[in-house]
Amino acid sequence: MADMEENREQTYQAELFDKLRKSMNLKREEDCIGCLIKPALWWMVEHPDPKVTDIERLVGDGCPCLKNRKHKNASVCAHTIIDSINRAFQTKKLSKFICVNGLHGFVYPITQGDKVYGYIGTCYTKTDVSSEILDVFSAFTDTIVREAQKELELSKLYETLRPRAIALSTVHTVHRLISSTLDLNELLPRIARLSLQILRANRCSIKLVDAKRKILIPKTTVDLREKKTRLKKVKVGKWAPGKAVKFGRPIRGDNYLATPLIDEDVIGVITIYDKIDNKPFSSFDQEIMSTLAEQAVIAIKNAQLYKEQEKLTMGSIKSLAKVLDTRAPGAYVPRASFVKISVVMGQESRMDAEEIKSLEYAAILHDAGEIVVPDEVLTKPTKLTGKEYAMVKEHPAAGVEIIKHMKALKSVLPIILYHHENYDGTGYPKGLKKDQIPLGARIMAIVSALESMITKRPYRLVRTIDEAIEEIERNSGTQFDPKVVTAFLKTMSRKEIRSMLEKELYGHR
Amino acid sequence: MDTGKILKKPIHMAIIRFFHENQASIDTPRGIATWIGEDRSKVKAVLEDLVKQKILTAHRAASTTGYSYTRDMELVSKIEKLLKSYKR
Repeated sequence: MADMEENREQTYQAELFDKLRKSMNLKREEDCIGCLIKPALWWMVEHPDPKVTDIERLVGDGCPCLKNRKHKNASVCAHTIIDSINRAFQTKKLSKFICVNGLHGFVYPITQGDKVYGYIGTCYTKTDVSSEILDVFSAFTDTIVREAQKELELSKLYETLRPRAIALSTVHTVHRLISSTLDLNELLPRIARLSLQILRANRCSIKLVDAKRKILIPKTTVDLREKKTRLKKVKVGKWAPGKAVKFGRPIRGDNYLATPLIDEDVIGVITIYDKIDNKPFSSFDQEIMSTLAEQAVIAIKNAQLYKEQEKLTMGSIKSLAKVLDTRAPGAYVPRASFVKISVVMGQESRMDAEEIKSLEYAAILHDAGEIVVPDEVLTKPTKLTGKEYAMVKEHPAAGVEIIKHMKALKSVLPIILYHHENYDGTGYPKGLKKDQIPLGARIMAIVSALESMITKRPYRLVRTIDEAIEEIERNSGTQFDPKVVTAFLKTMSRKEIRSMLEKELYGHR
Repeated sequence: MDTGKILKKPIHMAIIRFFHENQASIDTPRGIATWIGEDRSKVKAVLEDLVKQKILTAHRAASTTGYSYTRDMELVSKIEKLLKSYKR
């Protein structure tokens, strides 16, 4: 530690004198004062405690007293300067001297706090230098030295802070990148890839803890060397990942670094293997990875909570749908297929993940408001009277009334409210047309129409899937948005969708 | 791809130098613009160009895009030599 401190001091001293040597202000000052005290020989001692030989070497070439070192006065002259340096060292102030040849000079100490780094001096002046000139010299030199020291400190600060600021900015960017998804299947590979980028490594594996079974379940492994990887379960306490989880601290070897993901308990572990430059993992890598793991834990917990919330919401929606199905027991509704068709139509219409999720919920709940329509009206096999039809037209608004209390379903409400609007403005409840109708509702209008045509209804004969598709195509531009009809036709042309619907619809019968 | 030609463009050069000196960095266009003292919109366009040249990797998310340095060590050492031949 003492050696390091000494090295730092020596480096600082060398850099300070380098700055002073290059300082134009110091040069100007020497020229300026030099005019007043002509002749003057200037020199700079870059050491707090110089030897006589240092002075002879430094001053000697310019000074006639020291030039001839064999001369009996040479050594005396160098000693006079050393004495003056010692006084300047003690007092931290300018010190004057007269050499053996009766020539005048002075020494000014370069200080910082109590520390003396060296001296600026002059000699070979024929007359005594007035105290006014010396005061001006001291004041100017002090300003120049302080300026050089400030510049040095600033550049040191910059060198120290910049890498840290860049690292902090990286952590902030990673935080933004991983917080932008709540889908664990997308999040974990993203964390793995970002970790590999930051640590410049080849393989990353993320495992989450199954606390009951005391094992680590592999969730993602990314190997950028395109090697085949196996997702292996690991017992808590075994291997580096298991040990990191057991002890709740990073486990580092030359080619691996396992960092626990710690929330209240350890929830998992990120393990990085093989740096691309084949160097061993360092303590700095460990520090960076620990910071990254803290960010990852927050994102993983958020994604897990979101998933839980989604499960709860979907559970409530499905329960509600079950209750609604009991209203018309003979009418089997292939819900999974209609949900899938809605989702794919949403994707074909370039909806984002949130909008598609709303569509998924709406596909189950769009007719929830039928609960307010009396059974005899819903199951009436003959044509409805005007009053009965008015009751049926109330069901979108009634559906909204039922669902609006569930905050998670707020974005579903417009889909439910407007799914009976027609593209040409002839629908209900508001007679909206074209783009006035939300895209989700335009999609749901088609899904709802398909549903009512191909599932058993008391008031009409069941149509085949192809007949229903033709009917929807026929009404493109009037009842339905032509663009959405195109998305529907693309969706229905997909084999897996068609077979899912057929299996659910006819397999059930 | 002619890396030598790319390095003759000042913003390209500044970005490549930044990532070469900070190879563990992942940053947004705003961050990189701050580090190299250039206009963000110009930096953004150059970043995308460098992604096309495979000198940078883009990590795209809904809210932002993070950019990081190539992992191709051959390219890194080629850039190292070129950077040494250019004065700052």
